[in-house]
Amino acid sequence: MNKLAIISGFLGKTLNRYMTYQEDRGLATRIEMASRVEGADGLEVCYPADFGDFAELKELLEKFELGVSAVNFRSRRTGKWWRGSFISEIAEERGEVVDDLKRAMDFAAELGCNRITTCPLNEGTDTLFEADYGRIFDYAVESFGEACAHNRDVRVCIEYKINDPMARCLFGSAGETVSFCLLVGADNLGATLDIGHSLLARERPAQAAVLLDRAKRLFYVHLNDNDGVWDWDMLPGAYHFWETIEFIYVLRQLGYDDDWFAFDVFPKELDTVENYGAVMQLTRKLEEITDRIDVGKMEALMRERNSSQTIPYLYSLI
Amino acid sequence: MELKFSANAGFFGMRRDRFTQYQPQRDLEEKIELVASVEGVTGVELKYPNDFADLKRVCELLEKRDLQVSAVNVDIKDAEHFRHGALSARSQTAREKVIGLLCEGMDLAAELGTGLVTTCPLADGYDYPFQIDHGEAWGQFIDSVARVVAHRRDVTLLLEYQPHEPHARIMLGDVGKMLHVCAEVGAENLGANLDVGHSFAAGESPAEAAALLAAKGRLRYIHTNDNTGDGGDWDMMSGTVHFWDWLELLHTLERIGYSGWFGGDIAPKQMGPVEAYRTNFRLVRRMNGLLERLGRERLAELVGRDGNTAETFDFLSSFME
Repeated sequence: MNKLAIISGFLGKTLNRYMTYQEDRGLATRIEMASRVEGADGLEVCYPADFGDFAELKELLEKFELGVSAVNFRSRRTGKWWRGSFISEIAEERGEVVDDLKRAMDFAAELGCNRITTCPLNEGTDTLFEADYGRIFDYAVESFGEACAHNRDVRVCIEYKINDPMARCLFGSAGETVSFCLLVGADNLGATLDIGHSLLARERPAQAAVLLDRAKRLFYVHLNDNDGVWDWDMLPGAYHFWETIEFIYVLRQLGYDDDWFAFDVFPKELDTVENYGAVMQLTRKLEEITDRIDVGKMEALMRERNSSQTIPYLYSLI
Repeated sequence: MELKFSANAGFFGMRRDRFTQYQPQRDLEEKIELVASVEGVTGVELKYPNDFADLKRVCELLEKRDLQVSAVNVDIKDAEHFRHGALSARSQTAREKVIGLLCEGMDLAAELGTGLVTTCPLADGYDYPFQIDHGEAWGQFIDSVARVVAHRRDVTLLLEYQPHEPHARIMLGDVGKMLHVCAEVGAENLGANLDVGHSFAAGESPAEAAALLAAKGRLRYIHTNDNTGDGGDWDMMSGTVHFWDWLELLHTLERIGYSGWFGGDIAPKQMGPVEAYRTNFRLVRRMNGLLERLGRERLAELVGRDGNTAETFDFLSSFME
């Protein structure tokens, strides 16, 4: 069974264009809060925010008996790297982010999770004719290639997303990400499949998972939900119930069943601990509903490809 | 068509989105100075209550830079009072608070000599199915708007519709709902602030939205901008994505005799506000100039015939040769 992790950044202050939600909370407070979330097994810790005092971080994780699913490397920093970091036209900026990613990889190795997840959101463009796509792909290949060579035992996962804060990000879909990874050719470069980002990209998350798996690039999974318009980071299954069930079913078929699910869910103004409690409860419930699918029967139904049989069967389970 | 340009002062200071913070913090004086330095701008949209802590000072700054207030933009989305809605809130306290703010905004607008108050009701929305009772919320929304416009008839309340953000769904999300509110409330001093990007985000043709609003006498103000049409309100410079839609909008506005402000809601991000706004207004002016050069009457004649799209675009694209 997959273990469940909360992304530490979501336990404190979060922002959008208009609102500020929750208060700024220190590392100790956030970790203590995570420990109170029923059903949570660990954290996805954020670099550099959580790494001001690495000894303290390790101590707190131990004290509250929380595991680490991955180190979330932030490639956007206010006031710098405006035109992307991995794809910046300025060589020093590319060097700077690669060096920093290597540091984060060292921490991931030391924490034992051996996994970096990064959402390269400033790697993209707002308007047409803004950048030379050929050059920015070349920069990205070079930057990720160099970082991945630093330690082949640490997996680097690109969390693809179609937009925000750029109107179009460079890695927008599973297809774009997988072909980029193959272009780089490093075995330790793969994807984080965030189900909400996949839905935003008009994908079937289960289908995206299989594509990534076939290319040996399904490295990590984030769960949440949205209405298909924007990345609202909502409670799992709140909108896409059957999509989530199909996704969990397929992940099990692919053998992603002894790893981590991490959650980026925005509690907004709701009580954070209660909101994440609901996240864990809903996830286990969705898994339990998935358990009711008889694999042999489903495989037979899929061979028939007859929705008149399959959909009624699924509804018979709830 | 006369193009009166106004800039939203809020965009001239620090802005942020979920991930990033842009531009330095600037005080009102600095923001007004920057607005005044944008070529062709004669108006400024200021926020109530934040920008009006010292009204006398505001008036001095505006006079010094010869700027008019195009509209008082009343902020009704703060989380402290309007966590569960403002105009549509079940809580009477929240409704009284928002009605009070909008009425104060109207009094201020009268004092400043602009007849316009604009507000974007972003607290009135929901994230999840089953979160609100839609019938009750819409009843409260319309009742609150009716009470605000009854406060004084010499100032018009403009509602700016937007389909989502910060809630997954904003109640006043499209032109149809906008017209519904106007029809239900009925008062003459209620109108729309048509934000072009919000119209794109709602999957509309802004030209059609403008025509619908104008047919009911409700098109009173415009926010110029653009976006990629994927639902994101990117506040990009006008025409950088939807060039032809923008031409159609400007053509439509001229046909319906629009004489109001062309405000700007442009996110300058890392470009810098003066440059972003100057280019935005130049784009609007140049697109409008293109229609003048092509010949508006001929265009109207072509649009007025059925099954004529190929000839219309042949005419429109002739400037490229």
